[in-house]
Amino acid sequence: MAQESTIPEFLPGTLYMLVLRTLARGPLHGYAISRRIKESSEDALEIEEGSLYPALNRMLVKGWLTAEWGISENHRKARFYQLTEDGRRQLERESSQFDRLIRAIQLVMRSA
Amino acid sequence: MKEILRRLAYLRRRNRFNRELDDEIEFHVQMRADELEKAGMPQTEAVRRARREFGSSVRMREQTRAAWQIHWLEDLLSDLRYALRALRRNPGFAAAAIFSLALGIGANTTIFSLTMEFLFSQPSCRDPQTLASMQIGGNSHAYMPHYRFLRDAHIFEGLAGSNEESESNWRFGNDTYRLQVMRVTENFFHVVGVPVAMGRPMEPGDGDVVVLSDRFWRARLAADPNVLGKALVIDGRPYTVSGVLPRNHRTVLGFGFAPELYLPASRESDIVALIARLPEGMSMRAAYARLVAACKQLDKVYPPDWGPGSSWANNVEVVPVAGMERLKSLNMIPFTAFFGMLMIVVGLVLLIACANVSSLLLARASARRQELAIRLAIGAGRGRIVRQLLAESLLLALLGTCAGLVLNLWLSGVMNRVQLPLPIPMQLLIQPDWRLLLYSMAVALVSALAAGLMPALKATREGVSTALKLTDRQVGGRWTLRNALVVGQLAVSVVLLTTGFLFVRNMTKVMSMSPGFDAEHTVWAYMRLVPEKYTTVEQNRSVISNALSELRAMPGVGAASIAGVVPLNDNWVNMLDIRTDLNDQPIRLRFHNNNVGPDYFRTMGIPILEGREFVLSDQKGSPEVAIINENMSRRLFGERNPVGHTFRYTAPTLSAPVTVVGVAKNSKYFTLGEENPLALYMAYFQADLSTANLHFLVRASRPQDVVKEIAQTMGRLDASAAIEVKPMRDAMGFAFLPSRIGAALLGSMGLLGLALASIGLYGVLAYAVSRRIREIGLRIALGADSRAIVGMVVRQSLSLVIIGVAIGLGIAVFATRPLAMFLVPELSPTDPATFLGVVGVLVAVAVAATLGPALRAVRVDPMTALRYE
Repeated sequence: MAQESTIPEFLPGTLYMLVLRTLARGPLHGYAISRRIKESSEDALEIEEGSLYPALNRMLVKGWLTAEWGISENHRKARFYQLTEDGRRQLERESSQFDRLIRAIQLVMRSA
Repeated sequence: MKEILRRLAYLRRRNRFNRELDDEIEFHVQMRADELEKAGMPQTEAVRRARREFGSSVRMREQTRAAWQIHWLEDLLSDLRYALRALRRNPGFAAAAIFSLALGIGANTTIFSLTMEFLFSQPSCRDPQTLASMQIGGNSHAYMPHYRFLRDAHIFEGLAGSNEESESNWRFGNDTYRLQVMRVTENFFHVVGVPVAMGRPMEPGDGDVVVLSDRFWRARLAADPNVLGKALVIDGRPYTVSGVLPRNHRTVLGFGFAPELYLPASRESDIVALIARLPEGMSMRAAYARLVAACKQLDKVYPPDWGPGSSWANNVEVVPVAGMERLKSLNMIPFTAFFGMLMIVVGLVLLIACANVSSLLLARASARRQELAIRLAIGAGRGRIVRQLLAESLLLALLGTCAGLVLNLWLSGVMNRVQLPLPIPMQLLIQPDWRLLLYSMAVALVSALAAGLMPALKATREGVSTALKLTDRQVGGRWTLRNALVVGQLAVSVVLLTTGFLFVRNMTKVMSMSPGFDAEHTVWAYMRLVPEKYTTVEQNRSVISNALSELRAMPGVGAASIAGVVPLNDNWVNMLDIRTDLNDQPIRLRFHNNNVGPDYFRTMGIPILEGREFVLSDQKGSPEVAIINENMSRRLFGERNPVGHTFRYTAPTLSAPVTVVGVAKNSKYFTLGEENPLALYMAYFQADLSTANLHFLVRASRPQDVVKEIAQTMGRLDASAAIEVKPMRDAMGFAFLPSRIGAALLGSMGLLGLALASIGLYGVLAYAVSRRIREIGLRIALGADSRAIVGMVVRQSLSLVIIGVAIGLGIAVFATRPLAMFLVPELSPTDPATFLGVVGVLVAVAVAATLGPALRAVRVDPMTALRYE
């Protein structure tokens, strides 16, 4: 399937983790998710909309997220995404894997 | 798993999903626009900019949807939808295919249901896998003291006993009815775990209680809701109704055996078949070892009485009550083989039906070749098109299966209701269940592949360019595959027809077979006494002699006698070592025996070839006499006249000599198919025979006329006796049953196969004619007469039929050989008359199938035909 095209430019597979991390603090709608990631990374990471929504839906299928229609801060109808128990576990798994990876890369970079 | 459910949920509300996705995108864009506006951009500009930033929403939408889709399922659904449209456009084609499949699948699944019911139905009990039926000392039943000894040995979790061949008299109002009852030990319901629908099961210490079958409760007691606690007068004693069994009660014995009542086996003379509840985890092998050990103990307390060296531990059998193991036990093999054969036969019927559908699909595929070629040309993968064509045959198979299941339900209902002429009550409980469902699904899939795969592959094999260039009409030489199918169908139907023919001939042979006695002029009057009322031999004798003298005095009656068993309805068989006064060496013989009164042979019309028949003076106290049949005479005395000679039994102890006073002509004893059976008759009044079951035989020139009067006469002798009187011809139904069932089942399968194959033949010929209309028109225009045209069609038909029949006969000669085990010995499976009959029928049907297409060919109008495009 069209998996590759939705992977963000930086590290492959990290988009799910970033979204899960962002939602760990509470439900957000799609636009807010991308805003939040951009802000937290001090504008270094920008999620393309073309990647964000397919990714969100894949996570819904996997059961990591649930979605609900609600009213946004500026009184518009918006779809809010929320972390499930499965999603929280997935976040822990992914972040610990990610930590190990980064540490390993750092070790290599320093020794070389 | 949950993921699949979520995906399926999506499948149901795809439209809503798409709407919501649009809303979400719109929201996103609006939010961005708001932000830009806040930063000072004019509104319209902000919205435009926001949209541009968002990028291609079409691609993103596609990818979002892809996250949810189950591709193969959606493809399958769209293929099925497409196939449905295609079938709707060709209702005739669809109907023919579905009809063929419905017949094939209906027959197939019905036989499957029947097989499941007979061979694999679960008895109504708790945990059948830890139940085992047992035999000791080679006897099917054990005496009560022996049963109690084994029960109290506590070698299993529980040991119960039952006797399924028990009868009782039920007094109801002024009438007495004989009932088939199941006598069971008091712990039977507890050990076996038989559920009851109403009341409670029989329990130890209950005394005289009775558990009713649902059928008895409904049919005889009008489903009385207050039946519990009421008393039934059975064999002169009141029994309290403790419970009623559920409607779907199946006995442990199986085979649809359905006793009317369960009574306690409380009499010391009762014998019971053993059934044990094994402790959790005990294997059949371990149970066997335990039982053997217990039998050796039993030998010490109750030594077996059939000679030195004998032991209850000999011929011990432990068999599970259900499942495959049971089928492997010896006496089940003929049943299993019969049902195995039926399954093969219906498999062949289904194969013929699938070939019909295949043939139709091939015809359609060649009509659709341009459409398919175009689709291939514009880039559809071959796999995709094959899948699509398969979806069409899958849809046909599914529809055919649904129709077939309707047929199955109807036929099962008929079989459940049918009352067979059996001496014991029988009730089939065929119900659709998950096994039938799974099996039908498998059958549907297999038929879809069998019918559809070959046409689909063939239709897509050709290159695009050739297919596009050829027009429908120009295609030549494409018959081979369909012709091969028809030849195959004809060959298989020859095999089926041969089988059916054999069984039908078997039945006619059996029906016309002389049983060796005169069934047309005899009446069987069965009088069952209440055993408790006749405690002495004298009482028993006096009712018999009273009855005989009354019967003999009746007008229209030529002779009357009594017998221990009525031939072809019940059977006593002995296996004994016998020594004659001519030969010191004993020989072991297996023979039928019967105790018959004076005049028996005259009454039954069995000729006495040498000596005399029994007379009144053959009484207790006079020297023991016997009459033997020709086979037995030859085995014991060779070619000598045995009258006046004696024989003795050598085991367990040497018996007193028995004098042969007569030789009777050979006749049939238990089955019409039996081969050269030996038979020995003893004098009724010389034996220590005091039984409640009296079988009177009456010779009458018009049996039907005396039946009622005999019943009244005997009823006057004892009102508590149950009396059933019927002409012997009617009582032979049981003997004819196996051959009738075989003929009905296999004969109809043969006809069904033939019908399907002839539809196939007709289809191919009709199609051939329609494809050659231009050619035929041209020939007629050039002066060919109708004989030549008909000849053309007939030639094609004949070549198919001849090849098919030749192949079929070749297979049938070998395939029907094992059937000999189901047929009477007089009928050989390779009997040429059978094959001749089959060929005759097939050719007749083929001619009928050829007629239509041939006529159509003759009526072709050359002018229309040449314009025909």
